[in-house]
Amino acid sequence: MNDKIRACLENVRKPARYTGGEYNAVYKEKSAVDLRFAFCFPDIYEIGMSHLGSKILYGMLNELEGVWCERAYAPFLDMEAEMRKRGQPLYALESGDPVGGFDILGFTLQYEMNYTGVLNMLDLAGVPLYSHQRTSLSPLVVAGGPCVYNAEPVADFFDIIMIGEGEEMWPELIALYRRAKREKMDKSAFLREAANIGGIYVPSLYDVTYRGDGTVAAITPQESAPPVVMKRVVKDLDKAYYPDRFIVPSTEIVFDRAMVELFRGCRRGCRFCQAGYTYRPIRAKKPETLEKQAKALIASTGWDEVSLTSLSSSDYPHLETLCESLVDYFEPMHVSLALPSLRADSFNLALVENVQKVRKSGLTFAPEAGTQRLRDVINKNLREEDLLEACRVAFAAGYNGVKLYFMMGLPTETDEDLLGISQIVRHVIATFREHGKNKSRGVRINVGISIFVPKAQTPFQWLGQISAQEAERRKQLLMDSLKIKNVTYSVHNYQTSFLEAVFARGDRRLAPVLERAWRLGCRLDGWDENFDFDAWMQAFRDCGVDPAFYANRQLGEDELLPWDHISSGVTKRYLFSELERARQGIATPDCKFSCRNCGALRLTGGGKCDV
Amino acid sequence: MFKVRFCFEKTETAAYISHLDLMKCLQRSFTRAGIPVRYSQGFNPHIEMSIVVPLSTGYESRCDLCDLDLVTDELPADFVDRLNAALPRGMRVLSAKQADRPVNQIAYCAYEIRFPAGDVAAMTALLTSPVKMEKKSKRGSREVDLLDYIKEITFESAGEKTVCRCILAAGNDPLNPMYLTKALKNAGFVPEDAAVHYVRTGILDENCQNFYN
Repeated sequence: MNDKIRACLENVRKPARYTGGEYNAVYKEKSAVDLRFAFCFPDIYEIGMSHLGSKILYGMLNELEGVWCERAYAPFLDMEAEMRKRGQPLYALESGDPVGGFDILGFTLQYEMNYTGVLNMLDLAGVPLYSHQRTSLSPLVVAGGPCVYNAEPVADFFDIIMIGEGEEMWPELIALYRRAKREKMDKSAFLREAANIGGIYVPSLYDVTYRGDGTVAAITPQESAPPVVMKRVVKDLDKAYYPDRFIVPSTEIVFDRAMVELFRGCRRGCRFCQAGYTYRPIRAKKPETLEKQAKALIASTGWDEVSLTSLSSSDYPHLETLCESLVDYFEPMHVSLALPSLRADSFNLALVENVQKVRKSGLTFAPEAGTQRLRDVINKNLREEDLLEACRVAFAAGYNGVKLYFMMGLPTETDEDLLGISQIVRHVIATFREHGKNKSRGVRINVGISIFVPKAQTPFQWLGQISAQEAERRKQLLMDSLKIKNVTYSVHNYQTSFLEAVFARGDRRLAPVLERAWRLGCRLDGWDENFDFDAWMQAFRDCGVDPAFYANRQLGEDELLPWDHISSGVTKRYLFSELERARQGIATPDCKFSCRNCGALRLTGGGKCDV
Repeated sequence: MFKVRFCFEKTETAAYISHLDLMKCLQRSFTRAGIPVRYSQGFNPHIEMSIVVPLSTGYESRCDLCDLDLVTDELPADFVDRLNAALPRGMRVLSAKQADRPVNQIAYCAYEIRFPAGDVAAMTALLTSPVKMEKKSKRGSREVDLLDYIKEITFESAGEKTVCRCILAAGNDPLNPMYLTKALKNAGFVPEDAAVHYVRTGILDENCQNFYN
C-alpha cells in the first residue's frame, strides 16, 4: 500500500474495504506472472465479496499458470472523493497497482443499476469508456454475469461480453489473448478470432439499425461473427472447477459465509424470472461432491455458516440426506447451515429444525401474487393452502413470524389481485392465532413488495411495466389494505424499478444516456442515499431518448428484439408459447413431470435435466 | 481450562481492521488453526475472548494482547505456529503464555507517530507548557491538559518524516495519540491533510515496564 492510498484511508468509513490482505487472498510474484487480470465488481466491497461467481472465477483464474487475478470494487462516495482529490487511480486490492495497466479487466454485470459503476470504475482507472476509444490489446474490457442476456445498453463500452458460465470460456479466451500478444496481433484481429469461441460476443462486430418508429430494423454480424451467440454452460458440475478456499473478508459483508451450489437452473419456470430461464438446463451436483466442498471450505475459511445455494433449494432431490449428514458433521464444530430459497409447498419443518440446530433464523416465503388466478398467470405454482400449511407447521413448532414477498404490477393484475395480498396476510395471522405455540408473544408478519420489471429472455419480455401514476395508485391501495396489526411492509421504490425496466429491455442507444447520467453524478444507483432520479431524467432529455419507449411499451410479436442475437438456449418460440399460456391463465407444470422442450438441452448436447 | 494471553502484531493492511472485525477475524483464525477454544454456555454460544487494549482503526501495533479461554488444561505446544499459519496478512503472533496478570495493572501505552518532517525543536517546545483540548470519552466531552496524559515524549527527524515517540496514559482515562497530532496540526506544525502513521510499540504497567513480559 502506498502513502497516497494510506492518506485516502485516513478519511473514509470502513477502510478495510480498500486494503486487501484478507485470509486466502492470492498474492503472486510479479516476475512469475505474464497476465494481470483485475476482476472488477461495479458495486461496493460488501456486495461484491458476497457474490459466488466471483469467488469461482477468482480461484479458477489464479490456478492458471502465469495469471494473477486480483480484485477491484466500486469505491463508496467518500473513498472516490479522496482518490480523485489525491490523484490515486483505481487499484487492485492485492498488489495496490493501478488496474489501468492490467491486461484484462473483467466486469460482472449483476444488476442494471450497477451500469454507472462500470463507467465510474473505468474512469477512475484512467481507461477510456468506449471500446472504440481503446485501440490497443490491453486493457481488454470484458463483461459477464446475468445482465448479458441483454447487455445492449452497455455493449459499446465492452470489447467482449461473455454469454453464460465462465469456467470453460475464460481459459480459452486467455489462451487466445496470450497468442495475440505473442504474435503481436492488433486488437481488431484478436476480437475477430475471439468471436469464434463459443459464448464470446464481440459487440463491435454487430451493426444495429433502427426503423423510423424506433424499433430494431436489423442486427447484422460482420464477417465471420456468428448470427446468434449461444450461451456456454458447464455440462458436469461435479467435474467443474470449484474453489476449496474463499477469501475470508476482514470486515463484515452481506453474505458472510461459505457457499456451495446445489444445482444450476430451476425446474419451476416462473414466467417473470430471468434466472429461471437463463440458467437452464438444470444440472445438479452429487451430494458427495457437495459434502466434500462444504467441508473443505469450512476448514479453509473458519466460517461458522455454510449456505446451500440455488434458485430453489427445496427442489434439490437429495436435500434431506445431504442436510442430515452435514448437520451431523458441522454441529459439534458450531457451524450452522443456511437454506435460502425454500418454497412453501415443499417446506419440511423437520429439515428446517434440524438445519437450524446451531442458530435459528427467520422464515421467508415468496407467494409473489395475491390470488391463485394471478399466480397461475405468472406460473408461480404455489397454492395458498400450501403456504398456510407451511405456516401452521412452523407456528406450531414455535416460530412467531414470517417474511412474505410479493410483486406488484404483474401482467393482468387487477385490484382484486392486489387486495388478495392482504387477504393472505390475514389468513397467515389467523393461522398463528389458531396454531401458534407462543400466542402471548404475538405474531410478526413482514411483507416486502417489489415492482415487476419485465426482463429480456423471459416469457414476459414483450410486456410493458405499469406507469408511474398507476404504480402510485396501486401502491396506495396496497398500503391502505396492509394497515393491519402485527404487520410491517415495505414497497420497493418505483423510480429504481422503472430504470431497471428501461435498461433490462434497452438497446445501444442508451449508452450515451448512461454516460450522461454518470457525468451528472449518478453512481451507486442501487443505494437510496445516492439515487438521483431527476439527474437520470435530465440525462434522457439531454440525449433525446424517451425512457417510456423501453420501460412501458408492449413489444410486437414479430418485432426484432435488441437481444435477439443472444441466446440462452431457450427458444424465442418457447418463450412466446409461455406468454400465450399466461394470457390464458394456464400454468405450466414443473419440468420434473414433463420436458416441454424449451431448447436449453441443446447446450449440453441433449440428455435430460437433473430434476 | 486454560486462559491464554498472546501477543500479536498487526501491521500494514491488518491495521485497518476495526476492533469488532478484529474479534471476528481472530475467531475465524482460531477455527482454521484448530485451536481448542472454549465456547460460552447458553442460547448463543460464543468464543470466550477479549482484546486487552483495543486500538483505533488504522493504527499499527507491535504488541496487541488477546485473552482467550481454552478447553485444554495447558497451552498446546504448537499454539503460536498453528495460529500464525491461519492469520490474515499483516497479523503475526509473537508469543503466548498464561493470562495471569490482571489487566488493571496496565497504565500506559507507547506509540511511534510519523508525519511529514517539521520543526522538531518547535514541536518539543509546544509540549512544555499546558496544551488545553476537548477530549471525548464514553462519558462525554471535557477540556483537559494533554501534558497530564503524557509520561514521556521525544521528536526526531528521520529524512522526510518526523518521528514522535511517546508514552501516553492508558487504563481508565486513556489518551488517543491522535490528540497529539491534532495539537501539532492546530499549531501549524503538521499539514491538515497529511498522512499520519501510528504504531503502538508497547503496553506498559505503572513502572513503564512491559505489562506482558
